[in-house]
Amino acid sequence: MILKGLTWLVVLQLLGSVINLSVLPALPGPIIGMVLLFVLLLLRRGIPEPLEKTAALLLQYLPLLLIVPAAGIMTSGDALLSELPAIAAGLVLSLVVTVPFCGWLMQVLIKRADRHEEDQA
Amino acid sequence: MSEIDWRSVWSMTLDHPLFSVALTLIAFQLALALYRRSGWLVLQPVMVGMLLVVGTLYLCDIDYASYQADASMIAVLVGPATVALAVPLYRHLRRIQQLFWPIVITLVSGGIIGVVLTLLIARALGADLTVLMSLSPKAATMPIAMLVAEQLGGLASLAAVFVMLTGVIGTALGPLLLGWAGVNHPAARGLSYGINAHAIGTARALEEGDECGAFAALGMSLLGILIALFLPLALG
Repeated sequence: MILKGLTWLVVLQLLGSVINLSVLPALPGPIIGMVLLFVLLLLRRGIPEPLEKTAALLLQYLPLLLIVPAAGIMTSGDALLSELPAIAAGLVLSLVVTVPFCGWLMQVLIKRADRHEEDQA
Repeated sequence: MSEIDWRSVWSMTLDHPLFSVALTLIAFQLALALYRRSGWLVLQPVMVGMLLVVGTLYLCDIDYASYQADASMIAVLVGPATVALAVPLYRHLRRIQQLFWPIVITLVSGGIIGVVLTLLIARALGADLTVLMSLSPKAATMPIAMLVAEQLGGLASLAAVFVMLTGVIGTALGPLLLGWAGVNHPAARGLSYGINAHAIGTARALEEGDECGAFAALGMSLLGILIALFLPLALG
């Protein structure tokens, strides 16, 4: 079960990586693989069980898998520390704007959609 | 029988390729246990696990390149896991019916404003290009942000740290900021959590309720794919 799902994911990643190398250098291989899988699911109109199980398992342990690349901060920690004020300001100030903005915009658009529906009814 | 030379046994242990694998597995489980017991969002398992690994490597005087080579049998699964993100994306997309346009408009405008503001502020304060390119995909979920950052000439590890910081800060400030803006519709709150604080925000949104959590997961998935597809084309 898991093996069958994993085979699908690996083949799609391989396909994505070949597309990345040959015709679409702007997008990383695994991301092209993700788009391919998404299109396949749309065409199939459903998620096959082996794929669903494997995806759930892999995504559950995603934090474990990501520890390895994240530990690369060992070699770039200096860049992080020397530019910390600029980074912190960029992160915090943009969040202070976008968090309320996204919530407000969505709320306005939902209310407008509801009104539109009532008018039609 | 000759006496065992503990020193050489110890260095054989450190040099063995499985040392890096065991270290990663143990660090993750310790980090996960700490996260579950404390319930603190700040103690994200990736962050704490990464710090445990880095600390151990420093103490044992192992460089990152050899750790990375030995732990590659764990990291090789990051690719298939990234492909697997299409499964939750598909599941969430089925849920959108009448709210399609409000979601798309909010996602695109929120996503663009977030990237542009972050880059402008950080650049005005003197951040260099590598840091900027690692900052730009920070609102995406971690595997996507790491791939996109590398694609743009940034560093995957820096991007991972920025993703964590964004998630933790966005989730910590979220309730306060949404309250000030008078946002009380659960779908609107959820979407904002998902767009701005990805998986960490989604965990918080689920605590507010099912509808809020579902929209957060939807916002996170859709913004991830938007950043994955359009950021490399826009900035590359």
